[in-house]
Amino acid sequence: MEINYQSNFKLNKTEKKFLRKQIKARHTLLRHEAQWKELGHQALPPGLTVVEEIISSEDEKMLLESINWTEDLDNQNFQKSLKHRRVKHFGYEFHYENNNVDKDKPLPEGLPDICDSFLEKWLAEGYIKCRPDQLTINQYEPGQGIPAHIDTHSAFEDEIISLSLGSEVVMDFKHPDGITVQVMLPRRSLLVMTGESRYLWTHGITPRKFDTVQASEDYKSGIITSDIGDLTLRKRGIRTSFTFRKVRHMPCTCNYSLVCNSQRKETPPSFPESDKEASQLEQEYVHQVYEEIAGHFSSTRHTPWPHIVAFLKALPDGSIVADIGCGNGKYLGINKEFYMIGCDRSKNLVDICRERQFQAFVCDALAVPVRSGSCDACISIAVIHHFATAERRVAALREIVRLLRPGGKALIYVWAMEQEHNNQKSKYLRENRISQEKKEEIKCDKSTQGLLEQKSDIGSQNSASSVLSIDYIQEKESSSKTVTNSELPIHTNRTSFHSQDVLVPWHLKTKTGKNKPVEPFGSVGSCDPSPVFHRYYHVFRDGELEATCQTLSNVIILQSYYDQGNWCIILQKAWVCYGATWS
Amino acid sequence: MKLLTHNLLSSHVRGVGPRGFPLRLQATEVRVNPVEFNPDFVARMIPKVEWAALLEAADTLHLAEVPRAPTEGYEHDEDFLRKMHHVLLEVEVLEGTLQCPESGRLFPISRGIPNMLLNDEETET
Repeated sequence: MEINYQSNFKLNKTEKKFLRKQIKARHTLLRHEAQWKELGHQALPPGLTVVEEIISSEDEKMLLESINWTEDLDNQNFQKSLKHRRVKHFGYEFHYENNNVDKDKPLPEGLPDICDSFLEKWLAEGYIKCRPDQLTINQYEPGQGIPAHIDTHSAFEDEIISLSLGSEVVMDFKHPDGITVQVMLPRRSLLVMTGESRYLWTHGITPRKFDTVQASEDYKSGIITSDIGDLTLRKRGIRTSFTFRKVRHMPCTCNYSLVCNSQRKETPPSFPESDKEASQLEQEYVHQVYEEIAGHFSSTRHTPWPHIVAFLKALPDGSIVADIGCGNGKYLGINKEFYMIGCDRSKNLVDICRERQFQAFVCDALAVPVRSGSCDACISIAVIHHFATAERRVAALREIVRLLRPGGKALIYVWAMEQEHNNQKSKYLRENRISQEKKEEIKCDKSTQGLLEQKSDIGSQNSASSVLSIDYIQEKESSSKTVTNSELPIHTNRTSFHSQDVLVPWHLKTKTGKNKPVEPFGSVGSCDPSPVFHRYYHVFRDGELEATCQTLSNVIILQSYYDQGNWCIILQKAWVCYGATWS
Repeated sequence: MKLLTHNLLSSHVRGVGPRGFPLRLQATEVRVNPVEFNPDFVARMIPKVEWAALLEAADTLHLAEVPRAPTEGYEHDEDFLRKMHHVLLEVEVLEGTLQCPESGRLFPISRGIPNMLLNDEETET
């Protein structure tokens, strides 16, 4: 494979490696998308144009200098500490929580005066069809990007234009069918998105410091093809974009109703009714989220919990211990006398384990690639509650037990629905800064009573029926609701749980210090673009974890307890395996 | 990935079962990371090691001086323990692949991390 070098930019070893990996990754992606045949016919997403050199270098310099970033220093420092791209809004306030504008609150100053002449010119020359009234300025440092998204249909009209200043960048466009197109946006070019490219394709910028670009014809805009011989690596510079849009006042009537929030009430996630739905829910509301929040998440997971440390320290020297769902590796280095391996579904979290010199790998807890009976002990802390069906939760437990040698022990922790136990509030509740006037009690309706009564049956050997009982109870719960679709409720952090299956918000914030409440910014057009992620949880009721474990035929429950808002269990793999029939 | 870790890993491609062990190792980048020698620890690991798999992996990496089997009274054989310590704990595979011996499925090792994720088709019954 030949890499064409730019005369003033030699690739070092790391960069060559990076380039090889990027190309390899793209080939893999293309293969999977069965796009090889279509390579010759690749075109820009329909409705997309890139107008090159639409402004002069002098104008570019002038526009960049005109931006007054220091207007609201607090906001800028906050965003800088988040390592986020900087943003400024004009015309209308943009809200990142719902990716929409407040149409009733136009910002007093409107668009900056210097933009007027450019917009007039572009209208006159036919590059744009309508005059925008909203401007968002984004500044990206190398390594920063923006997640793939479609600009909200109901917020803005068809035409969306974006002027690139300071540096070029490769923007990724993705069609719902999976086809991706990489478009080079040169400096001083205007990206015009209309029609399908605006309404149906997502666009985003991968957060990285280099882009793979066409080597020939320096600033040619258009698609980056997979023609290996013509690719090179280009370092990114600071890129500033001026994105102009026209605020929409009537509902959107586009032809892409599937992705249109005017025509289609956004379907919130619901309780899964099949294994496939469960897997999809977990993919979107567990796996993807952890990948995005890994760094921040890790910084909040630093103190090993005493009971877990005690469990580990009580194990004999020379134990082989597996941490299933090890996260950032918090427990992997507790005892030097063990050989501890960790695995997690999140690549980014496993990366953190590696940085800490731990032995870790990426895998799914439902299929752990470790030979049966090879572990003296296992721990799985705050993992199983992320599985969306009872079957999957049992399957995860079964995997953990499979890894254990006979007599081996496992420690499992799951989040408890009951955040108050023995009249004591858990840390999770106590750290609630908002003082609650009313004390909310956990509803103790018929279904809970049913489960508690069921407990006496659970002790019996016929464990298969107890799983059914739990499912039956859950079914009864949802059928007794007046609403027919079992929508997953969004939980309010640091309050009691009112439902077992919930979406729990995670506010991605600064890595330093504790989570600060976000101050509203009074200044013109600036909003905090830090996203909120929802993670799916099935919080366990008292007795539920035990009942789930009892469905496994080859375990003994050694201990069952409550620890700071979690239900916990210590299991031991039986020395002799029982068969399916009870003697 | 250390060789002791490799010794624990097994393919979980559906239907493969115990025939998924050991994973065939191929390394393009290996590093030796000195680790403090703890003879008791190494001695405790010895009975847990699957020897055939360890030897296969060590051979692939062209490691020299790998004991072919535990010696009599190995717990007190410092020479033996030091060699095992090196093989099991000090050799790190940074880049390479692990291959399921039954299905041929390849799992990449990148920056010392094996990625053992299967896609949906491979996990469905």
